[in-house]
Amino acid sequence: MTFNEQELVKGCRQRNRIAQKQLYDVFGGKLFAICLRYTKNRADAEDVLQDAFIKIYENIDSFRSDSPLEYWLRSVVVNTALNHLRQQKYWKDLDDIEMHHNGIADKEITLGNFQMQQLLELIHELPPGCQTIFNLYAIEGYQHNEIAQKLGISEGTSKSQYARARGILQQKLNKEKRFDDGSVRNKQF
Amino acid sequence: MMDPSGINNFEDQWKRALQEASETPPQSVWEGIETHLDQHDNGRIIPLWWKSAKIWYAAASVAALLLAGGIWYKNAGTNHENASVQIAANQKAEKALTHENLATNETEKAGKGNASAPVIANNGVSQSKSEIAEVNKKADTKQNTTENVTGTLGNTGSLASKRSNSQGEQYAGKNSSNKNAPEPKPVALSELPSEKIAAVKEVAAVIAVTETPEKSISAERLTGLPYSDLDVHLQKRYVFFRPEVKSVTKEEETVKKKEYWAGLSLMPASFNPDVKLKEAPMAFAAQSLSNKKSVTGSSEAGASYAVQTQGGVRISKHWSMEFGLSYLKGNSSYLGGGYVLSAYNSQKSNVLESAVSPAYGNKNADFINNGALYIDVDKKVSNNYQYLQLPVQAGFTLNPEGKLSYSLLGGLMANFFLSNELESASGDIIKTTAVDQVYRDMNWAATTGLRFNYRLSSKWKASLTGSYQKAVSSGFRSNQSLDSHPYLYGVSWGVRYSF
Repeated sequence: MTFNEQELVKGCRQRNRIAQKQLYDVFGGKLFAICLRYTKNRADAEDVLQDAFIKIYENIDSFRSDSPLEYWLRSVVVNTALNHLRQQKYWKDLDDIEMHHNGIADKEITLGNFQMQQLLELIHELPPGCQTIFNLYAIEGYQHNEIAQKLGISEGTSKSQYARARGILQQKLNKEKRFDDGSVRNKQF
Repeated sequence: MMDPSGINNFEDQWKRALQEASETPPQSVWEGIETHLDQHDNGRIIPLWWKSAKIWYAAASVAALLLAGGIWYKNAGTNHENASVQIAANQKAEKALTHENLATNETEKAGKGNASAPVIANNGVSQSKSEIAEVNKKADTKQNTTENVTGTLGNTGSLASKRSNSQGEQYAGKNSSNKNAPEPKPVALSELPSEKIAAVKEVAAVIAVTETPEKSISAERLTGLPYSDLDVHLQKRYVFFRPEVKSVTKEEETVKKKEYWAGLSLMPASFNPDVKLKEAPMAFAAQSLSNKKSVTGSSEAGASYAVQTQGGVRISKHWSMEFGLSYLKGNSSYLGGGYVLSAYNSQKSNVLESAVSPAYGNKNADFINNGALYIDVDKKVSNNYQYLQLPVQAGFTLNPEGKLSYSLLGGLMANFFLSNELESASGDIIKTTAVDQVYRDMNWAATTGLRFNYRLSSKWKASLTGSYQKAVSSGFRSNQSLDSHPYLYGVSWGVRYSF
């Protein structure tokens, strides 16, 4: 589906329902995937997505056209998800943990054989604080100082929690790879 | 922010695997969003002029007025009335909702039984919106825009029109069915530009209040005003340096040096002429006893006074010169010396009388070889003087600018003799004046004193002066057998005026 981003934004600013639906149809899938990464279950992801789109429509006037629309939409969704998680105080009591190396080299990990549902399941199995920090650092590309500022934790905590998440994921990936022998597991998420 | 490097293999793999991931959300999500948007659009008319800064100022002013009015109203003790208005408004709102529910049910029923239900519903919406002209315009604009967007977005005409129709139906249906939907739940907007969102809410709240004046004013709607730091304007201070300040001060002091004053005072005093006989008068010299006793008398001070006027000039901060003109009434008495009594004519004469007798025809001859008797008695006779005084004094003043200042005085005083009244042995008063050539017309006296000045105002001062005057030369002419060095103690009370 092709679309004109400026016209779409203009229609949304005019509260045009067709344009709003068009925006939802174009970006809803990607944004929902983000919600799934940050939440623990599908129902929470749906709530976050709904809240995020309501924010998007209500605050579309604050969007500046000098940056891509998708970046702005993603940032709204991520912030909404963080707000959702903040209410559950997932990372309130996060502490620094000793950083250790699990001895698994990065080059041994390949995600090409994993479907998105598998990867999401691995992420969901992370402790809540680790999950959030992993998403922010590895996927969204935020720096640890930015994450610390966003979550109200120390930079050291962000680093240590990320190292923990990374270790857990590496172990699980190796385990999945060993048992499944590289086959794709078609599990309905 | 986004890390474009992709150096880290682990993060890079996860990013590639999940960053572009997509998962179709269920239909219920859009339905929930649409429901919220419908409630939002129906419940609140979002004005197109909301970008105007004046609106925010007006809204802030209205909010401030409402808040102030609310506080005043609350203080006036009308809380109960507020509560009743609130209840009434709620009941009215509930009734309105009930009516809308009934209307919606009817619309739904009609939609089920008729294939053209969306059109009817759309008409219903248009009719309901036609109550407000502005909303009608908005609806027209919305329809036009819908057509434009559809035309722009749709690649295939049939698909676009199909989508447009279906969405139009959905929109219409939602519009008609949303009236019985519950109030929109509050959405946490802290992640997005919160000031903007809060401001939008605030304006919407103010508009809602304006549209439904019967509703009670909720203080919660007035508390979310966006705030921003005010600009800090620093006050610049300029300090001007004036190196000529000293010279200016000197000029002022110079001006102050030339201060003149005039004063008037009254001085109760103790005046003692200290009269002594250098040798016995002729009448007393005839007898050895009288000759000896005549010189043993002495003066006693009497209660005296002086009326003084002064004029002065301040020649420096501390130093001053002053001049004056005073009238001194110096009363005293003379004790001792006895008197002589003429056996021939019963005349008598005391020592002082005899001493000054040569000036009046020298009556001493009556007591010589004439059987005169000497009466040795310490009789006190009055001896009062009058002087005109011209003092010239220098003064050194301590604490001259203070409320209370102290001046040390010292100088000379010219005492011009006016008269002397001497009580004779017979009780008569012998008055001697300057023309009688007995007393010096003028004799000098040294004077010193301590003065306390109390500043009453910038011009007036009160003074209290303790003075001591002592004659440095005899008050009698040198050819007289009498000698006198008057001295005086006095305390003067006065005021003075500065020019």
